[in-house]
Amino acid sequence: MNSHTPTDSRDAAVDTAPAPFNLRSRFITAVVVKLSGPVGEPFYSALDLMIRQAPHFFVGAPLVIDVELASSLQDKADFLRLAREMRNRRLFAIGIQNGTEEQSVAASHAGLLALQGGRDTALEAKRPKDRTAQAPDSTKVPDPPQDPAKVETLIVTDPVRSGQRVFAGNGDLIVVNSVSAGAELVAHGNIHVYGAMRGRALAGVNGDTAARIFCQSLEAELIAISGLYKTSDDFDPSVLKQRTQAYLQDDTLCLDILK
Amino acid sequence: MSKIIVVTSGKGGVGKTTSTAAIGAGLAMRGKSTCVIDFDVGLRNLDMIMGCERRVVFDFINVIQGEARLNQALIKDRRLENLSILPASQTRDKDALTKEGVEKVLNELREQFDYIVCDSPAGIERGAQLAMHFADEAIVVTNPEVSSVRDSDRVLGLLSSKTHRAETGQDPIKPHLLLTRYDTARVAKGEMMPLEDVLEILAIPLLGIVPESPAVLRASNVGTPVVLEGKSPAASAYEDAVSRLMGEQIEMRVQRPERPGLLSRLMRREA
Repeated sequence: MNSHTPTDSRDAAVDTAPAPFNLRSRFITAVVVKLSGPVGEPFYSALDLMIRQAPHFFVGAPLVIDVELASSLQDKADFLRLAREMRNRRLFAIGIQNGTEEQSVAASHAGLLALQGGRDTALEAKRPKDRTAQAPDSTKVPDPPQDPAKVETLIVTDPVRSGQRVFAGNGDLIVVNSVSAGAELVAHGNIHVYGAMRGRALAGVNGDTAARIFCQSLEAELIAISGLYKTSDDFDPSVLKQRTQAYLQDDTLCLDILK
Repeated sequence: MSKIIVVTSGKGGVGKTTSTAAIGAGLAMRGKSTCVIDFDVGLRNLDMIMGCERRVVFDFINVIQGEARLNQALIKDRRLENLSILPASQTRDKDALTKEGVEKVLNELREQFDYIVCDSPAGIERGAQLAMHFADEAIVVTNPEVSSVRDSDRVLGLLSSKTHRAETGQDPIKPHLLLTRYDTARVAKGEMMPLEDVLEILAIPLLGIVPESPAVLRASNVGTPVVLEGKSPAASAYEDAVSRLMGEQIEMRVQRPERPGLLSRLMRREA
């Protein structure tokens, strides 16, 4: 899938001119709009309300319409109207999924892809074992990692000093230095500290119970995952100053030495 | 190119003013034209330590507020012709300091002096923040005990985030650690933090180790910077620190080293 490179002498004549195009694969993550019934006024007003509440949520995001429960969408005209109404709201539907054969044909006449395969991410936050114990399913196309616009790793290379607060609001936080006592690390995702961790670390702060904290030397004042916390008083002395990971298991905050 | 150096610590009573006076005098002794500024508005001490309190007519705040010219407020030291003092006001408070005013005075001082040494007040409020705001380098004065080290760490965070260099994306302020009131005997007894522990937490280059010494208090009482008050372990430690500040490579000397190997560890840290 890389750009074409001449390896064969027969291609030499052709390759003197630049290729008109190259092919690359790309994963994109789409937002799935799962319809729960007929598309009418209630649907559009609910959509408008959502746009008002989160005006940036849909910006630039490709949308896929899940029509499994919307059997009323049948004709090309239905799909054209739906796509037009969404475009008027600056939403861009690229295709449908879970349609019947008729719906798929009608949608493709209306310029929408009928997508197959792929999986939706779960509606609710996953349990920790979902993420760790999940065996790869070879029959399904693996999900793209996650929306790159929504998940951003924050990397800090300077020491995090007492009184400083570092917040990774879009994913993981990695500190390649020491974190002083009195400093605070907060992340929606995981926290990695490649240095002494002497301050406070709060991972999974918006409820991700699968978030973890890793550090080179655990000397922290407080460790918290998804709101469950332990202070240094509660740490088992055997983990102090060790390479440690913290995770939640059955609503208990566990600290393990990394082998 | 003149350099603005802030002497700061967060915690009070660790030796900022003593160190400002000693380093200012040390730089002047080495032929550098130097000005020391007292930012501790309302609790001025630097003029006393420098022995010029009776010569204060106008002060830093008068200059900021346009009530006096800078050269009217600057006091020339009687012992060192390269050294001047800009005293703080005792009757005002820190709110009289403005960022614009401080910048204007510092820019004017830059034209006259090689080194401008700012004596920060304790704490991390307005006075301390303005003292460090326009600095090029910082001397973080720390005592070998946990609360002083913690406060120094906090100050290092402010130096790297709340200063002019940080806000305008220039090279960060160069920090130096000056460990004061270091008593090897008490370190050996476990009453004070060892140097290695302080360096591990603060992780900045070491400028010097000033031993606990009666000479420091004696010098303060008579209003003389400790480097001008005869030979003492503290005076030589400050002289070494001044040399390192000027970029010389000097072996780190700890008075009364209590165990072998300490010196070699220090040298490794410095490299």
